[in-house]
Amino acid sequence: MIPKKPPEAGEILQGTLDMLILRTLVMGPAHGHTIAQVIEHTSENALEVEQGSLYPALHRLEDRGLLSSEWGVSENNRRAKFYRLTAKGRKELSAAAGRWRRMTRAIGLILGDSIEPAGD
Amino acid sequence: MSISRFMHRRKKDQDLAEEIESHLAHEQDQNAARGLHPQEAHRQARLRFGNPRATRERVWRYRSFPMVEDGWRDLRFALRSLARTPGFTSIAILVIAVGIGVNTAVFSVVNAVLLKPLTYPDPQSLVQVVTTSDRGPLPLASIPEYNIFQQQSAVFQQVAAYDWGGAGVNLTGGDHPEQVLGMHVTSGYFPLFGAPVVAGRTFTAAEDSPNGGHVAVLSYGLWKRRFGGNGEIVGSTIQVDGQPWLVVGIIGRDFVTDTPADLWIPFQFDLTSREMVHNFNVAARLKPGITGAQANAQLALAADQFRRTHGNDALPPHGGFGAVSLQESLIGETRAPLMVLLGAVGFVLLIACANVANLLLARASVRKRELATRAALGAGRGQIIRQLLTESLALSFVGGLLGLAVGFGGVRLLLSVSPGDIPRIGENGSAVGLDYRVLLFTLGISLLTGVLFGLVPAISASRPDLTASLNENSSRSGMGLRHGKIRSLLVVSEIALALVLVTGAALLIRTFLKLEDVNPGFTTHNVLTASMSISGSRFQKTEPVAQLIRDGRERLVAVPGALDAAASDCLPLQGCFGMTFDVLGRPRGETPFTGMAGFFSVSWSYFSTFEIPLLRGRAFTEQDDSAAPGVVIINQAMARKYWSNGDPLMDRIQIGPGGGPAFSEGPRQIVGVVGDTRDAGVNRDPFPTMYIPIAQMLDAQTALNAKVAPLWWIVRSRVDPHPLRAGIEAALRDASGGMPVAHVRTMAEVEVRNTARQRFNMLLLSIFGAAGLLMAAIGVYGVMSYSVQQRTQELGVRLALGAQASNLRNMVIGQGMILAGAGVVLGIGGAFWLTRFLASFLFAVKAWDPVTFIVTPLLLNAVALLAVWIPAQRATRVDPMTALRLE
Repeated sequence: MIPKKPPEAGEILQGTLDMLILRTLVMGPAHGHTIAQVIEHTSENALEVEQGSLYPALHRLEDRGLLSSEWGVSENNRRAKFYRLTAKGRKELSAAAGRWRRMTRAIGLILGDSIEPAGD
Repeated sequence: MSISRFMHRRKKDQDLAEEIESHLAHEQDQNAARGLHPQEAHRQARLRFGNPRATRERVWRYRSFPMVEDGWRDLRFALRSLARTPGFTSIAILVIAVGIGVNTAVFSVVNAVLLKPLTYPDPQSLVQVVTTSDRGPLPLASIPEYNIFQQQSAVFQQVAAYDWGGAGVNLTGGDHPEQVLGMHVTSGYFPLFGAPVVAGRTFTAAEDSPNGGHVAVLSYGLWKRRFGGNGEIVGSTIQVDGQPWLVVGIIGRDFVTDTPADLWIPFQFDLTSREMVHNFNVAARLKPGITGAQANAQLALAADQFRRTHGNDALPPHGGFGAVSLQESLIGETRAPLMVLLGAVGFVLLIACANVANLLLARASVRKRELATRAALGAGRGQIIRQLLTESLALSFVGGLLGLAVGFGGVRLLLSVSPGDIPRIGENGSAVGLDYRVLLFTLGISLLTGVLFGLVPAISASRPDLTASLNENSSRSGMGLRHGKIRSLLVVSEIALALVLVTGAALLIRTFLKLEDVNPGFTTHNVLTASMSISGSRFQKTEPVAQLIRDGRERLVAVPGALDAAASDCLPLQGCFGMTFDVLGRPRGETPFTGMAGFFSVSWSYFSTFEIPLLRGRAFTEQDDSAAPGVVIINQAMARKYWSNGDPLMDRIQIGPGGGPAFSEGPRQIVGVVGDTRDAGVNRDPFPTMYIPIAQMLDAQTALNAKVAPLWWIVRSRVDPHPLRAGIEAALRDASGGMPVAHVRTMAEVEVRNTARQRFNMLLLSIFGAAGLLMAAIGVYGVMSYSVQQRTQELGVRLALGAQASNLRNMVIGQGMILAGAGVVLGIGGAFWLTRFLASFLFAVKAWDPVTFIVTPLLLNAVALLAVWIPAQRATRVDPMTALRLE
């Protein structure tokens, strides 16, 4: 019943959110709100985390044993659930990052010169 | 993993809710830090996050099994909703249970007879070796034929011959001599069929040769019943016809033969024999990799070789040998009736489906508001269809479960009236039962019926006009135009299907009545028959048999109440042997003999005992014995066919040309012509038949007969012969020196057994027809009374405007009868096309029998009229004031 939104720039590609979450947690444990903030800031606000997807993703990752969690107190002195990267998560991150780099390189090769290099 | 996720989801959900709260608080803090008013900070945080519940639902769903969950929820809802309308639910379930029940019952018989593989190892490679002629394959063979079959080692791995134990074996010794079924087999029989030997061994090749001695293999049942399951019996002797027979082995309980054998005896064939009499079956196992076609090609060569060895006349003009699948051969002609029954119960199920679909449509219109409300609350069309289908599937599965019980009871009932000669169903139908095929079948048709009767109502109900339904006054939210059309269509097809069923039933009832009217050509009243096995060594010659008959008749007519007595090798209605004959001095033409006729050997008083009328010449007398010149009596059918413009009493015939040594007798003078009897069954026209005196048989012929048939005793009495039974048995024991008799029945009972199959078909189709008729009537009644209920207001207005009650009644009747009429017309067309499949079951009735095709539609219309009468009557009782106030 919900009409599908056309994909837009800024929306995170399917499947990459997990990798971004894992990468964010390399810096240390964080709670959901911080994770979203960090992703958005680090990408210079190019990526927007849909918050409705963030928590299902966190729970999924935790179920897969890539993250562990515990309740703690945040910088704002509020109760928050902190996520921590597990050893398994670290391994998965490097695998996923490798896959991602190979993929973007491959796509870059195909796109080649026919498209203006981005950013410059 | 997913199970533990599933188990902890409630706690996790709580966790997530708190987590989201915390997220929102942080977002709000951030917003406040940007200088927003606390209220605005709160609002924007919520806005940004979206619906927390949706997120929680997403995680919840991911932690569960959506298909199962939704199905479970739909099912619970369906059960609740069905429980709210117990009347509807129980009627629907009952109708489905009957529909599925009769299908399960018939299918379980079809399964046992047609589908289940034979219980022997590697049944696919077992074939019946048959002799073929213009009249098709016959599963019978003679010794020279068996001999050539067993030499075909290029295609056959094993070959074995076996008979059906018709001659019987007398177990003497002990106080209770008993006639049991002793099946003759060759030594290859047990290995061919993989018979499990529980003790001892089976026959050796030496024991199965001429003069191989008296040996027997016992069945498990006989071993337990008569010998107390004593294992010592193997290697010791039992008394058979007063002589010691060595028991060499016992076969296991699981070994199934189509005629259940009590014990097995070796044939001890003399393979050099030129005996051309066909009196046993041959089965073979194909070599691995050999196809039926290859076997048939090889057997065609064998037939040529057979003609070269035994003369061209040893096989019929276009005859030969062939191999057919053993299972097909066993099933024989049973397939067609079972298929007709399966078709009939399929019709019953369709009518049941139409009926339940109708009920569901009515229910859906009552629930229009409920469904519209659900749609308004956001249920998708697919969800509503799924919900409604779940309801109909719940109905069909409960109905199916009940149907399984109905079917299981039904099949017992069915078999208790069954004609007993259905192959492969075991003793009293013990082979018919529930197995995975029957369960799958019932499950399958439950699913199918659920979808069949549920889909149309569900789709049509899922298209509600929301505003109209919600705004409508509930009492008027009735049958829309489309519903009305669908319902009428369903009723019309129900009537058409019911008409086809009832027509079929009517044709079979007419057939049965015609059969009852048939004069069998002999008296069935007050005649008792009993079989006596004369397979023992005492009766290998004609004279002792003739003496036995003389002694027996003398004592039988002395039994108080007995009027006459006789003996013969066959009984009328039960089928007998066929034999070739030549009319002396008549040119043969193309064929090697004049013709083929039924062949009875009888004692001299046979015709008077059965009161078979003598039409010309004389009957046999006591003087027609071996010393007197050979005589033969023929029946009217034979006289008509072969002496259409001559006098049979002037001719002599030679019986059994080409039949081998047992028939190397001289010609016989035709001395009489008797009336026709129905020998192959009430429904078969009499065919040419010849009778010879038992006392004039050659010794070889007597010995041959004793091996395949018992001696039948026939006693006609002044009163009901049942009370005479003890006296008759005592007289026969006395005359024979203590020999037992079996199969003691009156000819009336034989006649009942003879028409059992027709009675069975008629009974079943009548039950199915009645069920179809009843359901169709319920369908008509349902639609019309619903329509009257929906139109209360309209009827009220009409009454208020001055319409007569009788006008209203006629209007409703007219509308109902239009539906019925349409169904009847369609049904007549269908019946006309379908009854041709019944043609082979009919006797003296045409498939388009005018009486049936006039009476059945009238009956259908009468029932329909009855069904619309009640709602029509209700229409006249509408009170205009009440009707109008309903607005």
